[in-house]
Amino acid sequence: MKVEVLFPELCNLYGDTQNMKYFKLCLPQAEFIETALDEEPTFVKEDVNFIYLGSMKERTQEKVIKKLLPYKERIKELIDKNTIFLFTGNALEVLEKYIQKDDGTKIEALGIFNSYAKREMFNRYHGLLLGETQGIDIIGFQANFSFSYGENEGQNFLNLKKGIGFNKEKNIEGIRKNNFIGTYLIGPFLILNPIFTKYIMNLMGIENPELKYEKAIMDAYETKLAEFKNPKIK
Amino acid sequence: MKKTFKFYISLWGAKIVAGMLKILRKNASFLPGKVAITMCKNFLGIIEKPEIIIGVTGTNGKTTVCNMIIDALEKCGYTTINNRLGSNVDAGIASSLINGATFLGKTKKQVAVLEIDERSSIKIYPYVKPTYIVCTNIFRDSIKRNAHTDFIIDIINSAIPKESKLILNADDLICCSIGPENKEKVYFGIDKLETDVEETNNIIRDIRTCPICDTKLKYEYMRYHHIGKAYCPKCSFKSPEADYLGTNIDYKNSTIQIKTKNNITEYKLISDNIINIYNMVAVIAVLTEFGIEAQKLKEIFDEFKIVETRYSEEEVNGKKIIMHLAKGQNAIACSRTFDYIKNAEGKKAVMLNLDDYFDAKESTEDIAWIYDTDYELLNDDSIEQIIVGGVRSKDHYLRLLIAGVPEQKISYELKEIDAVDHLNIKKVDKIFILYDVYTVEMANKVKTKIEEKIKQS
Repeated sequence: MKVEVLFPELCNLYGDTQNMKYFKLCLPQAEFIETALDEEPTFVKEDVNFIYLGSMKERTQEKVIKKLLPYKERIKELIDKNTIFLFTGNALEVLEKYIQKDDGTKIEALGIFNSYAKREMFNRYHGLLLGETQGIDIIGFQANFSFSYGENEGQNFLNLKKGIGFNKEKNIEGIRKNNFIGTYLIGPFLILNPIFTKYIMNLMGIENPELKYEKAIMDAYETKLAEFKNPKIK
Repeated sequence: MKKTFKFYISLWGAKIVAGMLKILRKNASFLPGKVAITMCKNFLGIIEKPEIIIGVTGTNGKTTVCNMIIDALEKCGYTTINNRLGSNVDAGIASSLINGATFLGKTKKQVAVLEIDERSSIKIYPYVKPTYIVCTNIFRDSIKRNAHTDFIIDIINSAIPKESKLILNADDLICCSIGPENKEKVYFGIDKLETDVEETNNIIRDIRTCPICDTKLKYEYMRYHHIGKAYCPKCSFKSPEADYLGTNIDYKNSTIQIKTKNNITEYKLISDNIINIYNMVAVIAVLTEFGIEAQKLKEIFDEFKIVETRYSEEEVNGKKIIMHLAKGQNAIACSRTFDYIKNAEGKKAVMLNLDDYFDAKESTEDIAWIYDTDYELLNDDSIEQIIVGGVRSKDHYLRLLIAGVPEQKISYELKEIDAVDHLNIKKVDKIFILYDVYTVEMANKVKTKIEEKIKQS
């Protein structure tokens, strides 16, 4: 079983790297490959089971787009083949059509998805989110300089229960196509959402998956979920 | 800028507000300035300022550096305007200037020493143009407010006055990227230390590749996070040489030498914490640039102590209780504190009280920052117990487990004061109480309960 972590030396904001550190504790038998920006991704030449990309600075987004652009068709092929992808924070924007900057100029992205991102560096959003997918309550936080627009109905990751979704008008969040999952949620997403982590492990073919520190992680999740469901907490 | 009728009305209005707050014994370090800026948008530009302005910015250490500069200048006979008791945003700066001005808006003091919040640069620098700007360091800070280092650097660089002389941390490449168009710059730094390494395990390292050619940077030595002496193996990019270099640090005798182009002077160390040693070298750099002679500075540093609200030690029946500000939501500040505790001598217990005061009351805290923080540093044989208190204690408990801390060493309680019950005094020589900026009162209660527990044991 192979897990590829893309560009962890640069795409590591907001505690995102710990998603894979925790995943490694849950999957001691798996091979974790950390690919640097100046290396060729492993997924180019061979199939991997899981690909992760974390939040990054805006200037890094441009470097990552440039790096991944030659592999656009291969990424599409892997998505079609049901390879599991998890892109957190602004990583999902790399695969959208383009990112529009404050001055109106556009950074052309890979264009695998039809949506596009609009960036406003002086209008940052930070807030909590409660959503649902596959019957699982998902909790987390967003810290966005940008939101996504355009058509993504039917390709959303979460149905929104609280917070802001893909953008301020939509009550859906993220992108889900086959096993590609992109979400604006930042930080230790898998640690915050242990039931979803088990769901991912199931997708990877692990029957009856066990989480590391399961009691403690479930306890923390249930406490936080109750807070997120409290209408007084915004 | 010319003083207008609106300016005078704003000034007088602000002075009345400040007077009323004083009578009510309320803090007047923000509201008077807010009133003035609301009434007169370019108030900060119009009000007269001292001839010399020293601005202090950066992620960590601003307050400590400001306090030392103010104390040193006052010991040298200078009168200062400063915002040490209050806010470091535009309204705080305005409040300080109002306090130091006459009813006609004339300044009463010789020097202004202003702590300047990095994010507020765009609201301050167009009006207040410091003679010197010291930047202590630039790290990741609160996720909610500061996002990431590129964001902060872009804000500072969009506003920093080109005529200011910059005093920058040579060991911090991100800090060194401030003021690319400023002609006058000097650098401070600390020479290679025995504890330096070739590669750090810190989670956060915010510059890893050359900003010119994207090649992975190499380091002559690394200290922590991205602090160290770096160079690009492919192009000419490298850390600048320090004009004020801290060297030959002798922890046993509490001394440090500061090497400049012209001389080497030995100073008394104000702290054995590397963060405060950087702060000290920064202060020596700016005050030397200001014109204070080394001998005078040496005399001043002989009497300096770190302000007690940030660090204090007390001994009760042979056990040391150490209060240490750790700044919750700031992964670097907490990581550095954890490192300090790890390296402290003796067997230790750590009381972790790091919940955000406001989030704990009204919301649910974004705990992403604890996954940017090196909890792994607390996984050390010399740390016997880690006791977490607060509404987010289950999250800290889980984070400690993920960091590899044995389960039997960790306890937690939802109330900080209750967490003291888990402390096993017999096992340890030192008890560290970590707390956030806004939770000093709670930390003092925890300390009192620990004192009682020691006395009863």
